[in-house]
Amino acid sequence: MKSVLTILLRESRLVSTQKALVLIFLLAPIVYAFMYGSIYAHKQEENVKIAVVDMDGSELSRMISTQLDATQIADVVTTSSLEEAAQDLYYGKVQGYLLMEKGLQQTVLSLQKTTITLVVNAGRFLPSSDLTAALSKISLTLGAGIRMKYISKQGTGSEAALAEANPLSLDYRPLFNESSSYGAFLLPGLLAIILQQTLLIGLVASMGIEREQAFTGLFQAGSNSAILTAKSSFYLLCFLIIGLFFVTINFSVLQVPMRGSGGNLFILSGIFIAALIPMGLLIGSFFKTPLMGMQVMAFTSYPFFLITGYSMPYHSLPQLVQWIAALLPTTPFLQSYQLIVQAGGSLFDTRQALLHLILLWLLYSLLFLIRLQFIRKKMIPGGTIGSD
Amino acid sequence: MTKILHIILREWKRILSLPAHYVVLLVIPPIIFLFFGFIYNKKFAEELPVLVWDEDQSALSTQLIRLLDATKSIQISQTAGSESEVRAAIKSGKVYGAVHFPRHLEANLKSNHAASVTVFTNAAAIVPAKLIYKDAAGVIIKGGLAVVLEKFTRQGMPEEQAMALLQPIELHTVTLYNPDYNYQQYLTPGLITVGFQMALILVGVLLINYEAKTKTWEELIQTASGSASTIIIGKTLAHLTVAWINFILIVGVIFPIFGLSKAGSIGPFFVLFTLLSVACIGIGILVSTCINDVITATDVALFYTSPAFVFSGFTFPRWAMPWYDQFYANLMPYTPFLDGFIKVYFMELPLSYAVKESGILLLFIAISLGAAILLLQRKINTTKIARA
Repeated sequence: MKSVLTILLRESRLVSTQKALVLIFLLAPIVYAFMYGSIYAHKQEENVKIAVVDMDGSELSRMISTQLDATQIADVVTTSSLEEAAQDLYYGKVQGYLLMEKGLQQTVLSLQKTTITLVVNAGRFLPSSDLTAALSKISLTLGAGIRMKYISKQGTGSEAALAEANPLSLDYRPLFNESSSYGAFLLPGLLAIILQQTLLIGLVASMGIEREQAFTGLFQAGSNSAILTAKSSFYLLCFLIIGLFFVTINFSVLQVPMRGSGGNLFILSGIFIAALIPMGLLIGSFFKTPLMGMQVMAFTSYPFFLITGYSMPYHSLPQLVQWIAALLPTTPFLQSYQLIVQAGGSLFDTRQALLHLILLWLLYSLLFLIRLQFIRKKMIPGGTIGSD
Repeated sequence: MTKILHIILREWKRILSLPAHYVVLLVIPPIIFLFFGFIYNKKFAEELPVLVWDEDQSALSTQLIRLLDATKSIQISQTAGSESEVRAAIKSGKVYGAVHFPRHLEANLKSNHAASVTVFTNAAAIVPAKLIYKDAAGVIIKGGLAVVLEKFTRQGMPEEQAMALLQPIELHTVTLYNPDYNYQQYLTPGLITVGFQMALILVGVLLINYEAKTKTWEELIQTASGSASTIIIGKTLAHLTVAWINFILIVGVIFPIFGLSKAGSIGPFFVLFTLLSVACIGIGILVSTCINDVITATDVALFYTSPAFVFSGFTFPRWAMPWYDQFYANLMPYTPFLDGFIKVYFMELPLSYAVKESGILLLFIAISLGAAILLLQRKINTTKIARA
């Protein structure tokens, strides 16, 4: 117990005296959380510029243009020619253009089929898919309106005409993110990944410092298990406070809906951080300098985030990538976290992912203890002083 | 000129001998580039598990279920008997969505009464939710229109007219540059370039201050005869050649492996890549000149480069971000690079369409290298005075 306390105090001195560690452990998570979070402050994509080439100049074409402009997603830019619209697309001034050819209204009035053409730039997914969805909705609604008008003219009452014109409708219910907003989807995961990466980079850097100092002081201060216990306790406490800050301040500032219990999230975050600590310490023990550790860890942020199944569904990732992802505490954590924060689930609902997380915690703790024993033997020839 | 050549040769030696240089510039890039390609090797999110709650059990609902199962995104994986079962299955993550066919669906449609089919999705996972919605909406809308068509033809309407009334205004969508919404084509090139700018800046921040750590500062000044511009030009050119090696790796190896090559875009891409590389090296050198401590400089580099991908507007458009985030995005060279890259690589347009972006990158180069030369010269002069 005494050695645990000694190492704990030693760790707090190490962090407080190293400017780089203070920046990583304390400043970076808070600043990153606000910085990244603020990107999605508006939650949804709005006002995507789209050029409209209205060669018909009719009431109907103007109505389509006005309805498009009235949607939250589109911001209509009137263009005089197809060439101009295409050039605007090439220069990135608009993300797409809508072409309504001459005779549009006349064709519709003569009960013939007509076509409007939407050209979108799918170089970026979100604007192109949102524009397509908005215009599809408008064309379907207008189509239903025209059918209804035709049926009404045959002598059917308006209510019955509506039912006949659009007999089968779609009732869409997006659960746990009712507005299907990109921000509400990404923010919780982003905050979790910020917590993870700052902790991992900091731990790797701190182990690099220990190694640079040939572990002097650390091995003398206590056994391997005391080192793991003390370091884990110190960082667990620090990052639980940061996690609490995220949930209370960031969630409220960024209006992240919290549907589950705070207590459940606290327990889950505790196990997650506890699993990350031995993982970070283990990785860090392989780097000779803190610089090298930080450099390498910098490249893990995107891959770690991408393979957890957040950007692409987990089961759509290659099998090998799924296996690698299963070794990261973030993968089960984000599954549980989404369930608790966004779907309002309980720890029991997410027991499988929770068990996965606990197993990773035990695995990395064991591997770190073995690694420490190995280093200790290497550092102190012929002896295992102070080891377990 | 000879002195610059000496600095270039000296820097090449350093790149090949210092782990903090060669690991980041030559070892990590091929690994992460391949990984970024491999993550999205399945290219699409397909066959997403979806539940069916069929209360109608009619020929129509069976037909619609079959059509849903035949779509790219949806795989009917299980059935449910109530809304609570639907919600529980979505919450547990076993399915991404559900489709509900209400009782008397077919009978209502046959008796000219409107009916609706409900589609539930787990919108906390927005990508699968959007894909399921898109495919389900397509099937249900077509199903509804088939009912209308049957009615019109039964009433003796000519088929051509009936078809025209079904969809009087057809939306013809032309999706340019990535018509299938292929994830690998979309994300891998962007992730590769963002990874590389990170590598350049992470090493760039060590170009001056690391000389003190390797105790070669004096020798550097002597080789350059005390000229800051010689040092910076020499080092920049040496690192630019390493950037070109990575360009060859990207264009010659990585892109062909994953089928991402676009022959017509190589020239303009090379120009933009070179401008991005010099801008990143310039920013790195500037930081390295200002901050003597290598760990703190790496901290700054990490903080500066990590958000580049998110802030550049690749996944969430910049115009949807608050103004201060848009401002911050403009402080990173990756932002203009990405805008230009989309034009010359994804859209395969000539470089003339990316003149503005190239100009901004040149501005980054002029400011960063100019300031670095001034500051470094002052530093060298101070060293000379101190020595004197």
